[in-house]
Amino acid sequence: MTLPLSVVGVSHETAPVEVREQLAYGPYEVSDALLALRNAGEVEEAVLLSTCHRTEVYLRPARGGNAFHAIERMFSARPLVIEGNLDRYLFEKRGEEAVRHLFRVTAGLDAMVTGEAEIQGQVREAYQQATALETIPPLVGPVLNRLFQTALASGGQVRSETSIGEGTASVASVAVELAGKIFGSLQEKRVLLLGAGMTGELIASALSREGVRSVAVANRTYDRAVRLALKHHGQAIPLDRISEVLPTVDIVLSSTAAPHPVLTRAILRDSFIERRRHPLLIIDIAIPRDVDPSVGDEPEVFLYNVDDLRTIVEEHVQLRAGAVAEADRIIHASCEDFGAWYASLEVVPIIQSIRGSAETHRERELKRLFHSLGHLAPEDRARVEDFSRRLQNKLLHEPTAQLRRGMAEGAGRSLIDAVRFLYAIDSAGDSGTDSERGAEPPDMKDVDEEGSE
Amino acid sequence: MIHLSAFVFYVGALIPWIFLLFRGARGHTVLVASGLTGVAVALHAMALVDFWLTFGELPLGGLAPALSSLAFVGGLALVAMLLSREVARVALGLLPFVLVLQGAALALGIEPTHRDLDFQGVGFVLHVALAFLGLQGLAIASAAGLLYLMQHHELKVKRLGRLFRFIPPLATLERVGRVGLSVGFIALSLALVLGWAWTVQNRGSLEIDDPKVVWAVMSWVIFLGIFAARRVRGRNEYRSALAAVIGFAIVIGTYLALRLTSGGGGLFL
Repeated sequence: MTLPLSVVGVSHETAPVEVREQLAYGPYEVSDALLALRNAGEVEEAVLLSTCHRTEVYLRPARGGNAFHAIERMFSARPLVIEGNLDRYLFEKRGEEAVRHLFRVTAGLDAMVTGEAEIQGQVREAYQQATALETIPPLVGPVLNRLFQTALASGGQVRSETSIGEGTASVASVAVELAGKIFGSLQEKRVLLLGAGMTGELIASALSREGVRSVAVANRTYDRAVRLALKHHGQAIPLDRISEVLPTVDIVLSSTAAPHPVLTRAILRDSFIERRRHPLLIIDIAIPRDVDPSVGDEPEVFLYNVDDLRTIVEEHVQLRAGAVAEADRIIHASCEDFGAWYASLEVVPIIQSIRGSAETHRERELKRLFHSLGHLAPEDRARVEDFSRRLQNKLLHEPTAQLRRGMAEGAGRSLIDAVRFLYAIDSAGDSGTDSERGAEPPDMKDVDEEGSE
Repeated sequence: MIHLSAFVFYVGALIPWIFLLFRGARGHTVLVASGLTGVAVALHAMALVDFWLTFGELPLGGLAPALSSLAFVGGLALVAMLLSREVARVALGLLPFVLVLQGAALALGIEPTHRDLDFQGVGFVLHVALAFLGLQGLAIASAAGLLYLMQHHELKVKRLGRLFRFIPPLATLERVGRVGLSVGFIALSLALVLGWAWTVQNRGSLEIDDPKVVWAVMSWVIFLGIFAARRVRGRNEYRSALAAVIGFAIVIGTYLALRLTSGGGGLFL
């Protein structure tokens, strides 16, 4: 049975950043784009996921609709400046491939850096944003609803049961992790940025996002230091006055172009008296090194140079790569679960038909019974009616449950035909072809409630 | 029997913690470890109450009951730590100590002394409870100190592996150690004051040649030593952690030495 789902979009694997940035949707743009898609009658259900690395639309196309062209039209509505046609950057996956793609994306397996943690939150946000849109029928119907919930659960399982998310995989995040393991919360910590190198600034930005209290910037060119300090809401200091600041800082990021060490053990020793031997994290990413290696011999100093950080990142990347097979197994099981759930939808109209028929018989027989037992008091009639309902539910519960289970386990068309034959249900009671059912999946909720006792 | 059940649950709680340490966070491991610890402490409480109701004496007098009660105070500290996500993992450092105490109590046989102690009543219960709290405070500081030294080592050798990820941040461990030391020191000081007040009032002397008193005073001095290690030449966290571990080892070592040489006679020392 083909799942009526598609994913169309661009990702870091199909499009360069110049294209992706033009197709990135902000939070307000997402709602407008989804509503436009729905109003154009292109989709039944849709969720738009837009991150730095991808812009993808997960959708259940409208009857007879073409998912690829619908999304191509949606993207083309933007003022694009790209080389060649847009469709050379677009990809489309359908059915089970689309399901697997979402599950892999949510688990961080399709990310630029395997195991990336942020994507799960971004998928959740995209799902919630589409769910929150007030449309009739809802833009996130039973199929996408189930798909995204399963994807998020599966992503969570991958993160908690494998080492896919263990260790950080960029120099900046390693620096943040190190600072976290030394200081705990970074809220009250002070950073000294020596030099104005790009990596140093990246790390300073990452630390700022963690809420460090202040960033002091010292640079050979004072103007550049002032500009950087303004960016981080910190203060600029001349390079020759760093010893005055050292006693008060917790983290030093060094990336000057100086040909000799800027920080020596003697300079730091003096500051230790004032700083009362508080721990100090020094990240030296300069080549040649800015910090005398013997500084790391002080028990309170944790000194990391660029090679140390690179080695850590490489180890983490290898660790994550080793977990991909394990993660794929979880995703495979989740895909099968979703497929089984969708397969079980096919029996919903049949169950509804069986229950409808049973209900008609029950009412007819009750009417006949009450006619012949006219002396029954109202409360006795109510009891008999209640009894008949409970008996009917009990008799139907097992066959309907077994029917659903059978479909979920892949019994397929032969089971459906057998049930139709046994209960004398004609094809009109069914929802027809897969594509038609895909356009309008039956509501499982009612059947579940009826089936419960 | 209930004491043994508590011990089994303590052992059971240690297994997921070790699993967590070597395999990293997986599924509900932390929840399982916390749940088993909680059950162990609840059973332990039941066992001590049962002892009291059955024999009509508090489990504080004889060596085995006292060790079990000391383990229980550690169990309570474990539960308190497990309630805070930030410090829950320090439990791995304290749990083995609780296990050893309860295991030793079981091995010795948790039996009543059937002796009428001179020092009884609320004063006695308070004295022993405070002394136990003091010891457990030192045990917590030592557990946090041990983890601090391990994390410090991982950071120094630049190995950001499972141990690095399992152990809480240095700042958290330092804080736990500081709280353990402060609470422990205050509790032990009060226990000593209570004990001495009773001794002077009832026996007319301080009985400083009693091994129990020697050990308690020495433990108190060790507390002072650890505080001094923290303060000399600035607030040296590394030195403080090291001092807590060594100090605790000395306290335990001295207890065992005194116990073996003084022929304790079935009481705590």
